[in-house]
Amino acid sequence: MTADASRKPVIEARNLSKWFGEVVALNNVTLSVEPGVTGILGPNGAGKSTFIKLALGLYAPSRGEMRVLGEPPRNNRRVLSRIGWCPEVDHFYDHTTGFEFVYWLCRYWGMSSRAARAAAIEACEMVRITDRMDDPIDEYSKGMRQRIKIAQALALSPELIFLDEPMNGLDPRSREEMYTLIRALGDRGISVIVSSHILYEIERITDNVVLLVGGTLIAQGRVRDIRELIDRYPHTIRVISDQPVQLAKRFAGEPGVYAVETRGEVVTIRTLSPDDCYETLNILAVKAPGWVRAIECADNNLQAVFDYLTKKTVSGV
Amino acid sequence: MSELSLPTVLWTETAAKTPSLVQQFCASAAHAFIIMTRRRRFALAAALTFLPALVPVMESFFGRSVHALMASELFTRLAEKLYIDLLSPLLGLFFATLLIAEDVELRTISYILTRPISRTAWVLGRFAAFLLAAAPILLVSLAITALASGIKRQGFVLSNVNDFWLFCHYAAVQTIALATYGAFALFLGAFSKRPIVYGVLLIYGWQRVAAFVPGVIDFLTIQKYVDGLKPVLATQRNLVSIQTALGTFQREVFAIGAARALVVLGLMVVVFLGASAFSLRRREFGGDKTAGA
Repeated sequence: MTADASRKPVIEARNLSKWFGEVVALNNVTLSVEPGVTGILGPNGAGKSTFIKLALGLYAPSRGEMRVLGEPPRNNRRVLSRIGWCPEVDHFYDHTTGFEFVYWLCRYWGMSSRAARAAAIEACEMVRITDRMDDPIDEYSKGMRQRIKIAQALALSPELIFLDEPMNGLDPRSREEMYTLIRALGDRGISVIVSSHILYEIERITDNVVLLVGGTLIAQGRVRDIRELIDRYPHTIRVISDQPVQLAKRFAGEPGVYAVETRGEVVTIRTLSPDDCYETLNILAVKAPGWVRAIECADNNLQAVFDYLTKKTVSGV
Repeated sequence: MSELSLPTVLWTETAAKTPSLVQQFCASAAHAFIIMTRRRRFALAAALTFLPALVPVMESFFGRSVHALMASELFTRLAEKLYIDLLSPLLGLFFATLLIAEDVELRTISYILTRPISRTAWVLGRFAAFLLAAAPILLVSLAITALASGIKRQGFVLSNVNDFWLFCHYAAVQTIALATYGAFALFLGAFSKRPIVYGVLLIYGWQRVAAFVPGVIDFLTIQKYVDGLKPVLATQRNLVSIQTALGTFQREVFAIGAARALVVLGLMVVVFLGASAFSLRRREFGGDKTAGA
C-alpha cells in the first residue's frame, strides 16, 4: 500500500440522510474520516449508531452517499471482508458459549474450521476472557458480554473496526484496558471508529472527533477544542460504591468539587474539574476496588455544550 | 495494571479473503443445525412427531372393532393424513421459522449481514440444516408407524417388496412436502415479523378454504401439488367425485400428474428460497428502534 493510499479517507459521507418514517435519524451529513482512531461523539439519539449502521451497510441511505474504504458498503462483500463491528446492544445466539460465538462468526467470515478456532482462541485471549470462554454467554456479566462482542470484531483482523459504545458496562479497570487496546489498534495501522456520549472516553483514545447532535454534524476536529467548551460547564459523575460515605468524604473539599451527595450506594459528585475526579477515581478503583464499583457519567454537561454549539450554528455566530 | 495486548501476529493470513460458496453454505448449515438441535423445542417437536406411531400399536393391542382397518389401509391413512398433511407443514413451521426469523428477532442477523457471506449461501445453509434436522425425525417416525401397522395384522409388512415401495413412496412425498413447507416457512421468516401466525393462517386456513373450490384457487396451495404425488392406490383415490359447498365435482378433472406436481413443488422451493435471499439483500435489519425503524 502506498503512502497516498494509506491516507485515503476510510469513510466518506456526502449529503447523507437517513429517516425512518417521519423520524430523521441523520440529516444531510457530509464528512470524511481519515485513517486512525476517530471518535463519534453525541448524546443519546444523536444518530451515532445510525451512522455506523449506514457505514456497515445495514441501512441504505435515504438520500446521499456513503463510501467505506472507497466503495459503497451495502451488500458489498469486498468492503465487508475488511471491516469489523462491535454493536452497542447485546445480540447473542441462545445456548452458545463465548468461544462458539466468536468461532461461528469467524466461520461466516470465510475461515476454515481450524483457522476460526485459532482466531477465536486468540481473540478471547486478547480481551482476557479465555478462562470463561467455554461458559454460556447467558452467564456472562455485562462487562464480559462487551468483551466477547469486541473479540468477535477483532478476530477478523479487519482494517477498519467500528466500536459502538464499547465502554458501556465496563468497570473502570476494564475501561482502562479498552482505552489501551484501542490505542494499540490505532498504532498498528488499524482504523477504529468509536462512538460514545462521553467526551472523556473519546479523549482518552484519540484527538479526532466527529460531533453529532440530533442527526446533524455539528463539528469535526480536535477533542481539545470541545474540551475547552466542556470545562465551562459543571460536570456530574455518579459512582456506585460499597463505601459511599468514605468516598464522599474523600471527594468533599477537593479542588473544583462543589457538591457531593450520597443516596444508598450511589455517590454523585458535581465538579468543575472532571479530569482530576476521573484520575482520582481510577486510582481508587485499582487500589481499593470496593470503593469504585462503577462510574456513570451523566452527560448533562455535554448536552449543554451541544446546545451551545447548536445555537451557535443556528444563529451563525 | 495489566493491559489488553494485541497478538504479535494478526490473523490476516489465516482468513480466506474470498471464501467459497460451499464453505459459506457449510458454515451456515452446521451452525443452524447446532443451534436448532440444542433447543428444548427440538425435543418437543421430535416427541410430537413420534406420537402417531402409537396409533397402530394401540389399535393392535386394544382395538376390538370388527370394522378394524387392514394394516395397509391404516398405514396409508396415517401416512397421508398425519405425516404428509399435518406433520410436514407443522414441522416446517416449527423449525424453519426458527431459523431466519429468530436471527431477525434476536438481531444476530446484523452479525451475518456485516460478514462477507453470500446471502444465498446463508439461506441455503439454513434450509439444509432444517432438512437435516426435521426429515430424519419424520422418516424414522413413519418407519416405526409402518412396522407397527403390521403387528397382529395381515397385509402390510416391510419385507414385502410392494409394501416396501409404498413406504418409500410415502417417505419421498413426505420429504418433498417437508422441503416445500420448510422453504415457505423460511420465506415467511425472512419477510415478516410473525411468520408462525401467517404460516398457520395460510397453511391451515387458506389451504382448507381453497380446497372448497377445486380447480380454481386450490392451484394456489402447496397441498394440491403434494396430493398429486401421493400413490394412486391411496384410500381416497377410490373417490371419483368430491362433494363441496358449491357442488359435486369429478376428481379427475382437477387432478395433477405426479411429474407436473414435482416440477411445481421444486419451483416453489426455488422461488421461496430465492425470495428469502432477496429479502435479506433488500430489507434493513439495523433494528434501531430509537430511530424509529
